[in-house]
Amino acid sequence: MPPTPRNRGLAVLPIVLGIAGVVALAILPKFVESPYALQMMVLFFLAVIQGEAWNLIGGYGGQYSVGHAAYFGIGAYTVIVLLQSRGIAPWWGLFPALLLAVLVAAIVGSITFRLRGPYFVLASIAVAEIFRLAALNWKQLTNGAEGILLSGIPPLVIAGVQITDFSSKVPFYYMGLALAVVTVLVTIWFQGSKLGYYLQAIREDQDAANSLGIPLTFYKNVALMISAFFTAFAGALYGLYVGFIDPQTAVGLDISVQIVLTAIIGGIGTILGPVIGAALLVALSEALRSNALTDLLVGIGIVNPASTIGQFLRDNLSHAHMLIYGVLVALTILYMPDGVLGGIKNQIRKRRARAAAGGAA
Amino acid sequence: MLRIENLDFSYGDLQVLWDLSLEVKQGEIVTVLGANGAGKSTTLKNISRLVRASRGTIHFEGKDLGKLESHQVVELGVVQVPEGRRIFPEMTVLENLRMGSFIKSTRPDRQRNIERAFTLFPRLAERQKQLGGTLSGGEQQMLAIGRGLMTNPRLMLLDEPSLGLSPLFVKNIFEIIKEINKQGTTILLVEQNVFQSLRISHRAYVIETGRVVLSGTGEELLGNEHVKKAFLGA
Repeated sequence: MPPTPRNRGLAVLPIVLGIAGVVALAILPKFVESPYALQMMVLFFLAVIQGEAWNLIGGYGGQYSVGHAAYFGIGAYTVIVLLQSRGIAPWWGLFPALLLAVLVAAIVGSITFRLRGPYFVLASIAVAEIFRLAALNWKQLTNGAEGILLSGIPPLVIAGVQITDFSSKVPFYYMGLALAVVTVLVTIWFQGSKLGYYLQAIREDQDAANSLGIPLTFYKNVALMISAFFTAFAGALYGLYVGFIDPQTAVGLDISVQIVLTAIIGGIGTILGPVIGAALLVALSEALRSNALTDLLVGIGIVNPASTIGQFLRDNLSHAHMLIYGVLVALTILYMPDGVLGGIKNQIRKRRARAAAGGAA
Repeated sequence: MLRIENLDFSYGDLQVLWDLSLEVKQGEIVTVLGANGAGKSTTLKNISRLVRASRGTIHFEGKDLGKLESHQVVELGVVQVPEGRRIFPEMTVLENLRMGSFIKSTRPDRQRNIERAFTLFPRLAERQKQLGGTLSGGEQQMLAIGRGLMTNPRLMLLDEPSLGLSPLFVKNIFEIIKEINKQGTTILLVEQNVFQSLRISHRAYVIETGRVVLSGTGEELLGNEHVKKAFLGA
């Protein structure tokens, strides 16, 4: 078969669709004013940033870090602490926050990348827990378990013109969108770059990669540092957006797990996987939180709202998001090991193959 | 070219190599023979610094490998083709080969080396767009060797290249090893296929439980009573 013309068509189509999608998202706040919808979108963008960032080291490099909450928390805490206790504006506070996250990534990577497989995963969890405990107990700096409530963000003024005073969700929407687009672009670059190829070689066979002269720890470290950079950026954005951080919501194990799930459910080691995963997880967690899922089950008539089961679901489902995520991951790994995106691709490939076979016969 | 002296090595409490010494001279094919667990692969891993010995020295062209990392050994011109055809399954044949010219100094030769690999293994040229994982065992072994050649090695360490291959492929692989050697690459071969490997070797060592018990030219060992009894079942 001569696939050349079709391939060229396929290369242009995603670019056009991608630009159209971004433009549509960019003009969305002009038409949609509902704070609830904007809130969902900001959470979606944050999840995309974190998922794509994790994907660099976890998806392409095969190093399943379940400790990305550490970088998320460093980003959030540094910016918020500097703003709240020193009055340093967040756009300046970002520099030390990102620098610190990258530095910590370099140190953590140099130590933990000596470990492989499950041992690395455990070490990454342990590192994040160290940071959570530090945030919990270093009270002078972090205010411990009480957390820090942000009293306000100074208005952003460039050359005498006030750009925004951060009083609505719109500025966060655009910051989230911009950063999400940047992380996707970085991933596209990364996938085709030498660095990306070395990481993929390391994922597929560390010893073989090493036997060709690829210094494993060095390249894993570089990928982790890029990953930490964007994760910390997302953390800072999250802290500013929500206006409140505490050790559980900024450095908790939940965050690490959610980041990994975003990538796994969408499809690891792909450009769009984390985007799809983010959309699914944000929608799901909202459906659980607002009891929409129970309402849906009742609405279809599967569950009787007056019955014990109906009552039980209404009382408990909204707290059970971690449990549901667990089930979801198990299902994904069983039925779509390459994630939703990979699963869809496989279906299309099978259908095409079947069509081709049918055409030939 | 390569000189190993008095190497002792243990995995934890289990000592695997005992006072092991061997030498590979420029231009040779040297085979290390031995049963499972004799310490053959461990010897190769010591050379490529995947593991570190507790005592003894390894010199390559006069340089002490003791303080080097794996990737630095490759830069000196020593490449290991790992046991069990460790290719990158999700990359195409061509990408696998390209990955081989990781070291900066070998990049200008990339195209020439790819062509060389395709000349040695025409089968790889036919399948260059195919994913590595979809190749047959023999083709994967070809790819692993071809990829190793991309590093412009002066010494190539081959760990059981005939493992799990069909008899026809086995013969073919040994012919190609001989050809690579003729083109100027020194070869240290670890094998269980005694007959085929001794036939192409200039010299060979026999290792039993981590000690060198015999050494000599390929022909000498082929005729040796001990070798016949222990390995050839005669």
